[in-house]
Amino acid sequence: MNKKLLDQTLRAYIVLALVVMILSGPLFYFISNRLFIKSADETLINHKKEFMENVLPSLKGEDISTWNKISHNLRIEDPIAALRKDSVFFHVYYNKFEDENENHRVLLSPITIEGIPYALFARVNLIESEDLISNILLLFCITLSLLLAGLYFITRRLSKKIWLPFYSTLNQIEHFDLNKNEKPNFESTKVEEFTRLNQSVDRLIERNLLNYKNQKEFVENAAHELQTPLAIFQARLDVLIQKIPMTNELGNTLSELNKTISMLNRVNKNLLLLSKIDTDKYNTTEQVLISDLIKRQVLFLKEQAEEKKVSVHIEFTNPVMITANSSLIEILVSNLLLNSLRHNYLGGEIWVVLHEKELAISNTGKESELQRGKLFQRFSAAGKEGGNGLGLSIVKKISDLHGWALNYNYLEEKHVFQVVF
Amino acid sequence: MNLLLVEDGKLLALSIVEYLRVEGYRCETVNSLEDAWEKVSMQNYDCILLDISLPDGNGLTFLERLKDAGKMEGVIIISAKDSLDDRIKGLKLGADDYLSKPFHLPELSARVEALIRRKKFQGANKITFHEVVIDAQSQLVKVNETLVVLTRKEYDLLLFLISNKGKIISKTSIAEHLSGDMADMLDNYGFIYTHIKNLKRKLSDSGCRDYLKTVYGFGYQWHE
Repeated sequence: MNKKLLDQTLRAYIVLALVVMILSGPLFYFISNRLFIKSADETLINHKKEFMENVLPSLKGEDISTWNKISHNLRIEDPIAALRKDSVFFHVYYNKFEDENENHRVLLSPITIEGIPYALFARVNLIESEDLISNILLLFCITLSLLLAGLYFITRRLSKKIWLPFYSTLNQIEHFDLNKNEKPNFESTKVEEFTRLNQSVDRLIERNLLNYKNQKEFVENAAHELQTPLAIFQARLDVLIQKIPMTNELGNTLSELNKTISMLNRVNKNLLLLSKIDTDKYNTTEQVLISDLIKRQVLFLKEQAEEKKVSVHIEFTNPVMITANSSLIEILVSNLLLNSLRHNYLGGEIWVVLHEKELAISNTGKESELQRGKLFQRFSAAGKEGGNGLGLSIVKKISDLHGWALNYNYLEEKHVFQVVF
Repeated sequence: MNLLLVEDGKLLALSIVEYLRVEGYRCETVNSLEDAWEKVSMQNYDCILLDISLPDGNGLTFLERLKDAGKMEGVIIISAKDSLDDRIKGLKLGADDYLSKPFHLPELSARVEALIRRKKFQGANKITFHEVVIDAQSQLVKVNETLVVLTRKEYDLLLFLISNKGKIISKTSIAEHLSGDMADMLDNYGFIYTHIKNLKRKLSDSGCRDYLKTVYGFGYQWHE
């Protein structure tokens, strides 16, 4: 799935924030803990030094019990044999006032009072420093979270503002239609990259429009240029026929010539139409009573269908009015009707169904689904069964122009072409 | 009947002249608007066939000039531009008919004849061919004074054939003439056979001689 640009940036921020939190929390705890222990150790050493300097020289053996009664955290204990030098360690003592076990830092140091060895016991309660550390850690985390949240929202707002021209450009490109011949108008921006982007897209579109226009003009000119020779050919043929003694064989040959030139005329006419469909000539719309138009055309179709013994069924009665270009809607309907007859078999059937918002023309015919991809392409069906391969692409273009959906389906052995108005 | 053809395509002009001459029209050709103007200022024509794109201008301006000068000539525009705009503009400016290129000469001939008939007799006119009499206004056909009831298509067909009497008419041009606006929907010309057959039967039933001949493989001919 595609992610939005902004979301991706913000996702990176969130990942960074989480990593920083997860890593820095323990690190912070570890470092401050060490600092506290170090300072506790220093306190213990200082207490010991003070004791050694101020108390020990004047302390006598019988004072020991009195000392120990007064001083709780700095006591003189019985000597420990293994104790040769200062030893610092952790130990947990039970505090009966608080009713909890509290972690302490303890110093044991060998001393001598009146020649008798003793052990000096000093301790510092670590519980307060632990409380402090966790409080500080909490504060730290809150500050960091606030900072990151702020950063997130600022980035979001700022990015949205910064990327605004980009999204505007994107939107315009998405709605650009080569057929409509309207160049998008990009907003000017102060960001260099966006200016470059807009300029490049602008140039690209301009070139495309020009190419498209040239191509259309070429088709139009070519078709126009063909019209004169076609007219001459047709006229010369009409004159020639009057001058020669007609035989059966000649009649057939000339008839084929006539048919071919009619086909050429029609291809030419359709090419001209295709090149002009999206120009101003056809952009006027009006209210068209399509039900009457269809009935009129079906009347003619029925006459044409007689030879193939194809029956045509009209399955609607209500008048239907739509908004369309009147010439183009005539062409759309006649092309669809003609197709339904052309690709039919002897004794086949055609159904014309019209509703308020849709026209469906279905016919019997080839017993397999048509290739959807190629169906509406120019000349994809040329030469087969007498068509010139432009009919359906014209239908498609007319539908596109009016914003109608054109669908093809193969249902119950019928080919169904549906236009949704 | 005097015709003026304003057309710069030499071969096309030649073909039109050749075809129409046989019908008994006197047809003069010019290839520019300037020459055309010179001709119409010197004499009156029954019908002018006017191309739209000419070397020295647009045929529509000539039409305007003609109308401004109060000339009453019938004008048929023959144009390569099959655009609705031009058609409407041309007819608004007083042209009587509009035929887009390429066209069949029998079609042109029928249109010329119809136009001249309309102009000369203001519609109240009769076309007589031996025992066949066609009243173009009421669109009724009589053979030896007896009414023959024809369908719309059969009537059009008869008029088209008689307008081109003596000529061999291809199935294509008949089919396109009968289809009119629907000509683009034509796929085969089989349907005209039915109309021909019915017309022949109705005419012979009413005692008409058999003028309508089949030119095998190609089309039909109304013999004189």
